[in-house]
Amino acid sequence: MTAPELAFAMSGADWALLGWLALLAGCLALDETALAQTWLSQPLPAAFLAGLVCGEPATGLAVGLPLQMALTMNLPVGQTVTGDASGAAVAGVGGAVLAGRTPAPLGGEGDPVLTGWLLLGAAAVSLAGHPLVQAERRLHMVWMLEGRHTLRDGNLGRVEAIHGRCLLTAFVRGGLFAALALLAMAAVWLPLYAHLPHAVGFGFAWLPWLAAALGLGAVFERYGARRHWGWLGAGLGAGWLLGALT
Amino acid sequence: MSVRIEPGADGTAPRLAPGVRWQVFARSLGLQASWNHQRMQNLGLLVCLMPWLRARERDPERDRLFCRRYFEFFNTNPYLAGYVIGGLLRLEQEREGQGGLPRGQAQTFRDSLGRALASLGDQLFWLGLRPAVALLGCVVSLVAVGAAPLALGLLALLVVTGQLVWRWRAIGRGYAAGYDIVELLGDPRWHRAIRAAKRATLVLAGVLGGWVLHGGWDDASRPATGGWVVMGLLVAALAFPSLARRRPAGEFLIMAAGILGVVLAFALGEQGS
Repeated sequence: MTAPELAFAMSGADWALLGWLALLAGCLALDETALAQTWLSQPLPAAFLAGLVCGEPATGLAVGLPLQMALTMNLPVGQTVTGDASGAAVAGVGGAVLAGRTPAPLGGEGDPVLTGWLLLGAAAVSLAGHPLVQAERRLHMVWMLEGRHTLRDGNLGRVEAIHGRCLLTAFVRGGLFAALALLAMAAVWLPLYAHLPHAVGFGFAWLPWLAAALGLGAVFERYGARRHWGWLGAGLGAGWLLGALT
Repeated sequence: MSVRIEPGADGTAPRLAPGVRWQVFARSLGLQASWNHQRMQNLGLLVCLMPWLRARERDPERDRLFCRRYFEFFNTNPYLAGYVIGGLLRLEQEREGQGGLPRGQAQTFRDSLGRALASLGDQLFWLGLRPAVALLGCVVSLVAVGAAPLALGLLALLVVTGQLVWRWRAIGRGYAAGYDIVELLGDPRWHRAIRAAKRATLVLAGVLGGWVLHGGWDDASRPATGGWVVMGLLVAALAFPSLARRRPAGEFLIMAAGILGVVLAFALGEQGS
Protein backbone atom coordinates (compact mmCIF):
# COMPACT_ATOMS: atom_id res chain seq x y z
CA MET A 1 0.00 0.00 0.00
CA THR A 2 1.33 3.43 -0.90
CA ALA A 3 0.97 6.68 1.01
CA PRO A 4 -1.23 8.46 -1.58
CA GLU A 5 -3.81 5.67 -1.23
CA LEU A 6 -4.25 6.64 2.41
CA ALA A 7 -4.49 10.35 1.67
CA PHE A 8 -7.79 11.79 2.84
CA ALA A 9 -8.97 15.23 1.85
CA MET A 10 -11.75 16.91 3.81
CA SER A 11 -13.90 19.78 2.63
CA GLY A 12 -15.10 22.62 4.85
CA ALA A 13 -18.44 20.87 5.27
CA ASP A 14 -16.63 17.71 6.41
CA TRP A 15 -14.73 19.67 9.06
CA ALA A 16 -17.98 21.22 10.24
CA LEU A 17 -19.55 17.76 10.46
CA LEU A 18 -16.51 16.57 12.40
CA GLY A 19 -17.05 19.44 14.83
CA TRP A 20 -20.72 18.58 15.33
CA LEU A 21 -19.90 14.93 15.84
CA ALA A 22 -17.18 15.83 18.38
CA LEU A 23 -19.75 17.95 20.22
CA LEU A 24 -22.18 15.03 20.22
CA ALA A 25 -19.47 12.65 21.43
CA GLY A 26 -18.57 15.07 24.23
CA CYS A 27 -22.19 15.14 25.38
CA LEU A 28 -22.43 11.35 25.16
CA ALA A 29 -19.19 10.99 27.15
CA LEU A 30 -20.83 13.10 29.86
CA ASP A 31 -23.93 10.94 29.72
CA GLU A 32 -21.92 7.75 30.07
CA THR A 33 -20.90 8.39 33.69
CA ALA A 34 -20.56 12.03 34.64
CA LEU A 35 -23.95 13.56 33.93
CA ALA A 36 -27.46 12.12 34.03
CA GLN A 37 -26.60 8.63 32.73
CA THR A 38 -29.68 8.44 30.57
CA TRP A 39 -29.91 5.71 27.97
CA LEU A 40 -28.53 7.88 25.16
CA SER A 41 -24.86 6.92 25.50
CA GLN A 42 -25.62 3.25 24.81
CA PRO A 43 -24.22 2.12 21.44
CA LEU A 44 -27.56 1.98 19.57
CA PRO A 45 -28.88 5.45 20.46
CA ALA A 46 -25.36 6.94 20.25
CA ALA A 47 -24.84 5.55 16.73
CA PHE A 48 -28.36 6.55 15.75
CA LEU A 49 -27.82 10.13 16.99
CA ALA A 50 -24.50 10.26 15.10
CA GLY A 51 -26.37 9.07 12.00
CA LEU A 52 -28.96 11.82 12.48
CA VAL A 53 -26.22 14.46 12.82
CA CYS A 54 -24.69 13.17 9.57
CA GLY A 55 -28.09 13.09 7.87
CA GLU A 56 -27.86 9.31 7.48
CA PRO A 57 -29.84 7.65 10.28
CA ALA A 58 -29.83 4.35 8.37
CA THR A 59 -26.02 4.22 8.64
CA GLY A 60 -26.38 4.88 12.36
CA LEU A 61 -28.74 1.96 12.75
CA ALA A 62 -26.59 -0.32 10.57
CA VAL A 63 -23.60 0.22 12.89
CA GLY A 64 -25.52 0.68 16.15
CA LEU A 65 -27.71 -2.42 16.09
CA PRO A 66 -25.00 -5.12 16.00
CA LEU A 67 -22.76 -3.00 18.25
CA GLN A 68 -25.53 -2.77 20.85
CA MET A 69 -26.23 -6.51 20.76
CA ALA A 70 -22.52 -7.28 21.21
CA LEU A 71 -21.97 -4.73 24.01
CA THR A 72 -25.18 -5.15 26.00
CA MET A 73 -23.42 -6.89 28.87
CA ASN A 74 -20.82 -4.12 29.32
CA LEU A 75 -22.43 -2.93 32.55
CA PRO A 76 -21.14 -0.14 34.79
CA VAL A 77 -21.58 -2.17 37.97
CA GLY A 78 -19.05 -1.42 40.68
CA GLN A 79 -15.87 0.10 39.31
CA THR A 80 -15.79 -1.77 36.01
CA VAL A 81 -15.62 0.23 32.81
CA THR A 82 -14.72 -1.30 29.53
CA GLY A 83 -13.97 1.09 26.79
CA ASP A 84 -15.58 4.17 25.39
CA ALA A 85 -18.52 2.63 23.55
CA SER A 86 -20.34 5.87 22.75
CA GLY A 87 -17.18 7.41 21.28
CA ALA A 88 -16.65 4.24 19.24
CA ALA A 89 -20.22 4.36 17.93
CA VAL A 90 -19.85 8.01 16.87
CA ALA A 91 -16.44 7.31 15.28
CA GLY A 92 -17.81 4.27 13.41
CA VAL A 93 -20.80 6.08 11.94
CA GLY A 94 -19.01 9.39 11.33
CA GLY A 95 -16.00 7.64 9.78
CA ALA A 96 -18.22 5.76 7.33
CA VAL A 97 -20.09 8.92 6.34
CA LEU A 98 -16.92 11.00 5.93
CA ALA A 99 -15.33 8.26 3.84
CA GLY A 100 -18.51 8.08 1.72
CA ARG A 101 -19.24 4.43 2.50
CA THR A 102 -22.59 2.84 3.30
CA PRO A 103 -22.58 -0.24 5.53
CA ALA A 104 -25.36 -2.81 5.16
CA PRO A 105 -27.83 -3.21 8.00
CA LEU A 106 -28.00 -6.70 9.54
CA GLY A 107 -29.90 -8.87 7.07
CA GLY A 108 -30.41 -5.93 4.69
CA GLU A 109 -29.11 -4.98 1.29
CA GLY A 110 -25.65 -3.46 0.89
CA ASP A 111 -22.08 -4.34 1.77
CA PRO A 112 -22.02 -6.59 4.87
CA VAL A 113 -18.20 -6.85 4.76
CA LEU A 114 -17.98 -3.11 5.35
CA THR A 115 -20.33 -3.43 8.36
CA GLY A 116 -18.08 -6.12 9.84
CA TRP A 117 -14.95 -4.07 9.19
CA LEU A 118 -16.55 -1.00 10.81
CA LEU A 119 -17.60 -3.02 13.86
CA LEU A 120 -14.08 -4.35 14.28
CA GLY A 121 -12.76 -0.79 14.06
CA ALA A 122 -15.35 0.43 16.56
CA ALA A 123 -14.36 -2.31 19.03
CA ALA A 124 -10.70 -1.29 18.72
CA VAL A 125 -11.62 2.38 19.24
CA SER A 126 -13.69 1.53 22.30
CA LEU A 127 -10.82 -0.42 23.86
CA ALA A 128 -8.41 2.40 23.06
CA GLY A 129 -10.68 4.74 25.02
CA HIS A 130 -10.45 2.65 28.18
CA PRO A 131 -7.04 3.92 29.40
CA LEU A 132 -8.19 7.49 28.81
CA VAL A 133 -11.25 6.98 31.01
CA GLN A 134 -9.02 5.49 33.70
CA ALA A 135 -6.54 8.37 33.42
CA GLU A 136 -9.39 10.83 33.80
CA ARG A 137 -10.50 9.12 36.99
CA ARG A 138 -6.98 9.25 38.40
CA LEU A 139 -6.97 12.98 37.63
CA HIS A 140 -10.27 13.31 39.48
CA MET A 141 -8.60 11.85 42.55
CA VAL A 142 -5.80 14.40 42.44
CA TRP A 143 -8.32 17.23 42.09
CA MET A 144 -10.60 15.78 44.76
CA LEU A 145 -7.72 15.87 47.22
CA GLU A 146 -7.28 19.58 46.44
CA GLY A 147 -10.74 20.00 47.91
CA ARG A 148 -9.31 19.20 51.37
CA HIS A 149 -8.34 22.87 51.67
CA THR A 150 -12.05 23.62 51.98
CA LEU A 151 -12.15 21.52 55.14
CA ARG A 152 -9.83 24.16 56.65
CA ASP A 153 -11.22 27.42 55.23
CA GLY A 154 -14.86 26.54 54.39
CA ASN A 155 -14.55 27.89 50.81
CA LEU A 156 -17.50 26.20 49.07
CA GLY A 157 -16.65 27.65 45.68
CA ARG A 158 -13.45 25.63 45.51
CA VAL A 159 -15.30 22.30 45.74
CA GLU A 160 -17.86 23.40 43.15
CA ALA A 161 -15.09 24.53 40.80
CA ILE A 162 -13.30 21.18 41.10
CA HIS A 163 -16.52 19.33 40.35
CA GLY A 164 -17.18 21.57 37.33
CA ARG A 165 -13.62 21.03 36.11
CA CYS A 166 -14.21 17.27 36.21
CA LEU A 167 -17.38 17.65 34.11
CA LEU A 168 -15.54 19.77 31.57
CA THR A 169 -12.70 17.24 31.38
CA ALA A 170 -15.11 14.40 30.61
CA PHE A 171 -16.71 16.47 27.84
CA VAL A 172 -13.39 17.47 26.28
CA ARG A 173 -11.93 13.98 26.60
CA GLY A 174 -14.97 12.40 24.93
CA GLY A 175 -15.16 14.95 22.14
CA LEU A 176 -11.46 15.00 21.29
CA PHE A 177 -11.07 11.24 21.47
CA ALA A 178 -14.06 10.63 19.21
CA ALA A 179 -12.86 13.25 16.71
CA LEU A 180 -9.40 11.67 16.49
CA ALA A 181 -10.84 8.17 16.29
CA LEU A 182 -13.24 9.30 13.59
CA LEU A 183 -10.40 10.75 11.51
CA ALA A 184 -8.39 7.55 11.96
CA MET A 185 -11.42 5.52 10.94
CA ALA A 186 -12.06 7.58 7.80
CA ALA A 187 -8.45 8.14 6.76
CA VAL A 188 -6.78 4.84 7.69
CA TRP A 189 -9.15 2.07 8.74
CA LEU A 190 -11.73 2.33 5.96
CA PRO A 191 -9.19 2.74 3.12
CA LEU A 192 -7.52 -0.46 4.38
CA TYR A 193 -10.82 -2.23 3.76
CA ALA A 194 -10.29 -2.02 -0.01
CA HIS A 195 -7.13 -4.12 0.41
CA LEU A 196 -8.70 -6.99 2.34
CA PRO A 197 -8.13 -10.37 0.67
CA HIS A 198 -11.38 -11.71 -0.75
CA ALA A 199 -11.61 -14.69 1.61
CA VAL A 200 -10.98 -12.52 4.66
CA GLY A 201 -13.65 -10.13 3.46
CA PHE A 202 -16.11 -12.99 3.30
CA GLY A 203 -15.32 -13.75 6.92
CA PHE A 204 -15.99 -10.16 7.97
CA ALA A 205 -19.42 -10.35 6.35
CA TRP A 206 -20.28 -12.80 9.14
CA LEU A 207 -18.77 -10.72 11.92
CA PRO A 208 -21.92 -8.69 12.71
CA TRP A 209 -24.03 -11.85 12.99
CA LEU A 210 -21.48 -13.72 15.08
CA ALA A 211 -20.75 -10.73 17.33
CA ALA A 212 -24.48 -10.21 17.90
CA ALA A 213 -24.94 -13.92 18.67
CA LEU A 214 -22.02 -13.94 21.13
CA GLY A 215 -23.29 -10.76 22.82
CA LEU A 216 -26.80 -12.16 23.16
CA GLY A 217 -25.33 -15.43 24.39
CA ALA A 218 -23.62 -13.43 27.14
CA VAL A 219 -27.05 -12.03 28.10
CA PHE A 220 -28.47 -15.57 28.21
CA GLU A 221 -25.62 -16.61 30.51
CA ARG A 222 -26.04 -13.60 32.81
CA TYR A 223 -29.76 -14.05 33.28
CA GLY A 224 -29.82 -17.80 33.76
CA ALA A 225 -30.81 -19.31 30.44
CA ARG A 226 -30.87 -22.79 32.01
CA ARG A 227 -33.20 -21.85 34.86
CA HIS A 228 -35.53 -19.73 32.73
CA TRP A 229 -35.43 -21.80 29.56
CA GLY A 230 -39.21 -21.39 29.10
CA TRP A 231 -38.98 -17.60 28.88
CA LEU A 232 -35.94 -17.84 26.66
CA GLY A 233 -37.64 -20.37 24.38
CA ALA A 234 -40.67 -18.11 24.03
CA GLY A 235 -38.39 -15.22 23.13
CA LEU A 236 -36.48 -17.28 20.57
CA GLY A 237 -39.74 -18.41 18.97
CA ALA A 238 -41.05 -14.85 18.80
CA GLY A 239 -37.74 -13.68 17.32
CA TRP A 240 -37.84 -16.37 14.64
CA LEU A 241 -41.36 -15.22 13.71
CA LEU A 242 -40.19 -11.62 13.69
CA GLY A 243 -37.39 -12.61 11.30
CA ALA A 244 -39.90 -14.35 9.04
CA LEU A 245 -42.19 -11.33 8.99
CA THR A 246 -39.61 -8.54 8.50
CA MET B 1 -41.61 2.51 45.33
CA SER B 2 -43.37 4.54 47.98
CA VAL B 3 -42.84 5.07 51.67
CA ARG B 4 -45.34 6.17 54.29
CA ILE B 5 -44.57 9.76 55.17
CA GLU B 6 -45.44 11.20 58.57
CA PRO B 7 -47.05 14.63 58.25
CA GLY B 8 -45.34 17.68 59.72
CA ALA B 9 -46.68 19.77 62.60
CA ASP B 10 -49.12 21.60 60.29
CA GLY B 11 -50.42 18.33 58.85
CA THR B 12 -48.42 18.44 55.60
CA ALA B 13 -45.36 16.42 54.67
CA PRO B 14 -42.13 18.44 55.09
CA ARG B 15 -40.85 19.82 51.80
CA LEU B 16 -37.66 21.35 50.48
CA ALA B 17 -37.99 24.93 49.23
CA PRO B 18 -38.69 24.65 45.46
CA GLY B 19 -35.62 26.68 44.44
CA VAL B 20 -33.31 24.57 46.57
CA ARG B 21 -34.93 21.37 45.36
CA TRP B 22 -34.39 22.32 41.69
CA GLN B 23 -30.76 23.11 42.32
CA VAL B 24 -30.23 19.90 44.27
CA PHE B 25 -31.97 17.94 41.51
CA ALA B 26 -29.85 19.50 38.74
CA ARG B 27 -26.67 18.79 40.68
CA SER B 28 -27.74 15.26 41.56
CA LEU B 29 -27.63 14.43 37.84
CA GLY B 30 -23.89 15.08 38.00
CA LEU B 31 -23.30 13.09 41.17
CA GLN B 32 -20.64 10.96 39.45
CA ALA B 33 -18.86 13.76 37.59
CA SER B 34 -15.89 13.74 39.97
CA TRP B 35 -15.98 9.97 40.60
CA ASN B 36 -12.57 8.81 41.82
CA HIS B 37 -11.10 5.51 42.92
CA GLN B 38 -10.43 6.61 46.49
CA ARG B 39 -13.68 8.19 47.72
CA MET B 40 -15.91 7.62 44.72
CA GLN B 41 -18.90 10.03 44.83
CA ASN B 42 -17.86 12.06 47.89
CA LEU B 43 -17.32 15.33 46.06
CA GLY B 44 -20.48 14.78 44.02
CA LEU B 45 -22.56 14.32 47.17
CA LEU B 46 -21.09 17.43 48.77
CA VAL B 47 -21.84 19.50 45.66
CA CYS B 48 -25.43 18.16 45.61
CA LEU B 49 -25.99 19.23 49.22
CA MET B 50 -24.50 22.70 48.78
CA PRO B 51 -27.60 24.55 47.49
CA TRP B 52 -29.19 23.93 50.91
CA LEU B 53 -26.10 25.32 52.63
CA ARG B 54 -25.83 28.27 50.24
CA ALA B 55 -29.43 29.25 51.03
CA ARG B 56 -28.14 30.19 54.52
CA GLU B 57 -25.98 33.09 55.64
CA ARG B 58 -22.29 32.36 55.24
CA ASP B 59 -20.61 31.02 58.35
CA PRO B 60 -17.12 29.70 57.52
CA GLU B 61 -16.91 27.50 60.61
CA ARG B 62 -20.30 25.88 59.97
CA ASP B 63 -19.49 25.50 56.26
CA ARG B 64 -16.15 23.93 57.11
CA LEU B 65 -17.74 21.38 59.41
CA PHE B 66 -20.49 20.68 56.87
CA CYS B 67 -17.89 19.92 54.19
CA ARG B 68 -15.96 17.77 56.65
CA ARG B 69 -19.04 15.59 57.24
CA TYR B 70 -19.48 14.83 53.55
CA PHE B 71 -15.92 14.72 52.25
CA GLU B 72 -15.61 11.08 53.23
CA PHE B 73 -16.15 7.98 51.09
CA PHE B 74 -19.58 7.73 49.53
CA ASN B 75 -20.97 5.47 46.83
CA THR B 76 -24.47 4.56 45.77
CA ASN B 77 -26.50 4.02 42.63
CA PRO B 78 -26.95 7.38 40.89
CA TYR B 79 -30.63 6.74 40.07
CA LEU B 80 -31.46 6.20 43.74
CA ALA B 81 -29.07 8.77 45.20
CA GLY B 82 -31.94 11.24 45.53
CA TYR B 83 -33.28 9.31 48.53
CA VAL B 84 -29.97 9.67 50.37
CA ILE B 85 -29.55 13.32 49.37
CA GLY B 86 -33.10 14.23 50.40
CA GLY B 87 -32.79 12.27 53.63
CA LEU B 88 -29.50 13.97 54.57
CA LEU B 89 -30.93 17.42 53.89
CA ARG B 90 -33.87 16.63 56.16
CA LEU B 91 -31.53 15.54 58.96
CA GLU B 92 -29.42 18.68 58.46
CA GLN B 93 -32.56 20.81 58.53
CA GLU B 94 -33.72 19.22 61.78
CA ARG B 95 -30.37 19.91 63.46
CA GLU B 96 -29.97 23.43 62.13
CA GLY B 97 -29.02 25.86 64.87
CA GLN B 98 -27.98 23.00 67.14
CA GLY B 99 -24.41 22.76 65.92
CA GLY B 100 -25.36 20.77 62.79
CA LEU B 101 -25.73 17.07 62.30
CA PRO B 102 -23.19 15.05 64.36
CA ARG B 103 -20.55 13.59 62.06
CA GLY B 104 -21.14 9.99 63.17
CA GLN B 105 -24.88 10.27 62.63
CA ALA B 106 -24.44 11.63 59.12
CA GLN B 107 -21.93 8.90 58.35
CA THR B 108 -24.15 6.06 59.62
CA PHE B 109 -27.20 7.29 57.70
CA ARG B 110 -25.24 8.01 54.51
CA ASP B 111 -23.24 4.79 54.48
CA SER B 112 -25.96 2.32 55.45
CA LEU B 113 -28.60 3.80 53.16
CA GLY B 114 -26.08 4.38 50.37
CA ARG B 115 -24.89 0.77 50.45
CA ALA B 116 -28.40 -0.68 50.49
CA LEU B 117 -29.57 1.55 47.64
CA ALA B 118 -26.40 0.77 45.66
CA SER B 119 -27.25 -2.90 45.82
CA LEU B 120 -30.91 -2.38 44.89
CA GLY B 121 -30.05 0.12 42.17
CA ASP B 122 -27.41 -2.09 40.60
CA GLN B 123 -29.91 -4.95 40.41
CA LEU B 124 -32.82 -2.86 39.18
CA PHE B 125 -31.16 -0.33 36.90
CA TRP B 126 -27.78 -1.63 35.76
CA LEU B 127 -28.66 -5.33 35.56
CA GLY B 128 -32.40 -4.94 34.92
CA LEU B 129 -33.78 -1.89 33.19
CA ARG B 130 -30.68 -0.71 31.34
CA PRO B 131 -30.06 -3.89 29.31
CA ALA B 132 -33.84 -4.37 28.91
CA VAL B 133 -34.25 -0.91 27.39
CA ALA B 134 -31.16 -1.36 25.21
CA LEU B 135 -32.51 -4.62 23.81
CA LEU B 136 -36.01 -3.16 23.48
CA GLY B 137 -34.43 -0.41 21.37
CA CYS B 138 -32.94 -3.10 19.10
CA VAL B 139 -36.29 -4.88 18.77
CA VAL B 140 -38.12 -1.60 18.12
CA SER B 141 -35.69 -0.63 15.38
CA LEU B 142 -36.15 -4.04 13.73
CA VAL B 143 -39.95 -4.01 13.96
CA ALA B 144 -40.48 -0.37 13.02
CA VAL B 145 -38.19 -0.60 9.93
CA GLY B 146 -38.94 2.67 8.09
CA ALA B 147 -40.38 4.32 11.18
CA ALA B 148 -37.39 3.25 13.30
CA PRO B 149 -36.12 6.84 13.84
CA LEU B 150 -39.50 7.92 15.18
CA ALA B 151 -39.92 4.79 17.30
CA LEU B 152 -36.42 5.09 18.77
CA GLY B 153 -36.98 8.79 19.43
CA LEU B 154 -40.19 8.04 21.32
CA LEU B 155 -38.51 5.29 23.33
CA ALA B 156 -35.64 7.65 24.22
CA LEU B 157 -38.10 10.36 25.27
CA LEU B 158 -40.00 7.93 27.46
CA VAL B 159 -36.86 6.54 29.11
CA VAL B 160 -35.20 9.90 29.72
CA THR B 161 -38.37 11.57 31.02
CA GLY B 162 -39.22 8.59 33.20
CA GLN B 163 -35.86 8.53 34.94
CA LEU B 164 -35.74 12.30 35.43
CA VAL B 165 -39.19 12.22 37.06
CA TRP B 166 -38.06 9.30 39.24
CA ARG B 167 -34.97 11.21 40.38
CA TRP B 168 -36.94 14.39 41.09
CA ARG B 169 -39.44 12.47 43.18
CA ALA B 170 -36.69 10.56 45.03
CA ILE B 171 -35.26 13.80 46.41
CA GLY B 172 -38.69 14.91 47.66
CA ARG B 173 -39.48 11.54 49.19
CA GLY B 174 -36.09 11.30 50.84
CA TYR B 175 -36.56 14.73 52.37
CA ALA B 176 -40.14 14.07 53.48
CA ALA B 177 -39.26 10.73 55.07
CA GLY B 178 -35.95 11.59 56.79
CA TYR B 179 -34.96 8.62 58.95
CA ASP B 180 -38.13 6.77 57.91
CA ILE B 181 -36.64 6.34 54.46
CA VAL B 182 -35.21 3.02 55.67
CA GLU B 183 -38.78 1.65 55.45
CA LEU B 184 -38.43 2.05 51.73
CA LEU B 185 -35.84 -0.72 51.62
CA GLY B 186 -38.29 -3.30 52.91
CA ASP B 187 -40.83 -2.67 50.14
CA PRO B 188 -41.37 -5.99 48.30
CA ARG B 189 -42.02 -4.15 45.05
CA TRP B 190 -38.27 -3.59 44.62
CA HIS B 191 -37.69 -7.29 44.22
CA ARG B 192 -40.74 -7.79 42.05
CA ALA B 193 -39.51 -4.99 39.75
CA ILE B 194 -35.99 -6.49 39.64
CA ARG B 195 -37.36 -9.92 38.75
CA ALA B 196 -39.62 -8.49 36.05
CA ALA B 197 -36.83 -6.36 34.53
CA LYS B 198 -34.43 -9.31 34.39
CA ARG B 199 -37.07 -11.57 32.86
CA ALA B 200 -37.86 -8.91 30.27
CA THR B 201 -34.15 -8.69 29.43
CA LEU B 202 -33.96 -12.45 28.92
CA VAL B 203 -37.09 -12.54 26.73
CA LEU B 204 -35.91 -9.59 24.62
CA ALA B 205 -32.48 -11.19 24.22
CA GLY B 206 -34.32 -14.35 23.15
CA VAL B 207 -36.32 -12.40 20.58
CA LEU B 208 -33.14 -10.94 19.12
CA GLY B 209 -31.45 -14.36 19.27
CA GLY B 210 -34.35 -15.87 17.32
CA TRP B 211 -34.12 -13.07 14.79
CA VAL B 212 -30.36 -13.62 14.37
CA LEU B 213 -30.92 -17.35 13.90
CA HIS B 214 -33.56 -16.67 11.28
CA GLY B 215 -31.11 -14.39 9.49
CA GLY B 216 -28.57 -17.22 9.58
CA TRP B 217 -31.20 -19.67 8.32
CA ASP B 218 -31.98 -17.35 5.41
CA ASP B 219 -28.34 -17.25 4.42
CA ALA B 220 -27.84 -20.94 5.14
CA SER B 221 -30.42 -21.68 2.47
CA ARG B 222 -28.00 -20.18 -0.07
CA PRO B 223 -25.24 -22.72 -0.77
CA ALA B 224 -22.65 -20.01 -1.50
CA THR B 225 -22.52 -18.96 2.16
CA GLY B 226 -21.56 -22.30 3.55
CA GLY B 227 -25.01 -23.66 4.29
CA TRP B 228 -25.54 -25.31 7.63
CA VAL B 229 -22.04 -24.59 8.87
CA VAL B 230 -22.94 -20.95 9.38
CA MET B 231 -26.25 -21.79 11.01
CA GLY B 232 -24.47 -24.19 13.40
CA LEU B 233 -21.89 -21.54 14.18
CA LEU B 234 -24.59 -19.02 15.12
CA VAL B 235 -26.25 -21.55 17.45
CA ALA B 236 -22.85 -22.30 18.99
CA ALA B 237 -22.15 -18.57 19.43
CA LEU B 238 -25.47 -18.08 21.24
CA ALA B 239 -24.78 -21.06 23.50
CA PHE B 240 -21.05 -20.55 24.05
CA PRO B 241 -21.14 -18.08 27.00
CA SER B 242 -23.62 -20.31 28.90
CA LEU B 243 -21.55 -23.43 28.26
CA ALA B 244 -18.25 -21.76 29.08
CA ARG B 245 -19.80 -19.77 31.96
CA ARG B 246 -17.83 -16.75 30.82
CA ARG B 247 -18.89 -13.24 29.80
CA PRO B 248 -16.00 -11.36 28.25
CA ALA B 249 -16.45 -7.65 27.47
CA GLY B 250 -18.35 -6.98 24.25
CA GLU B 251 -15.31 -5.54 22.49
CA PHE B 252 -13.51 -8.86 22.89
CA LEU B 253 -16.60 -10.69 21.63
CA ILE B 254 -16.49 -8.60 18.46
CA MET B 255 -12.82 -9.43 17.97
CA ALA B 256 -13.51 -13.12 18.60
CA ALA B 257 -16.32 -12.93 16.04
CA GLY B 258 -13.87 -11.43 13.55
CA ILE B 259 -11.42 -14.28 14.07
CA LEU B 260 -14.22 -16.85 13.83
CA GLY B 261 -15.47 -15.26 10.62
CA VAL B 262 -12.03 -15.35 9.01
CA VAL B 263 -11.46 -18.96 10.10
CA LEU B 264 -14.86 -19.81 8.65
CA ALA B 265 -13.98 -18.08 5.39
CA PHE B 266 -10.76 -20.06 5.02
CA ALA B 267 -12.44 -23.30 6.09
CA LEU B 268 -15.13 -22.90 3.46
CA GLY B 269 -12.54 -21.90 0.86
CA GLU B 270 -13.83 -21.41 -2.67
CA GLN B 271 -17.32 -22.51 -1.68
CA GLY B 272 -17.48 -19.65 0.78
CA SER B 273 -16.03 -17.01 -1.46
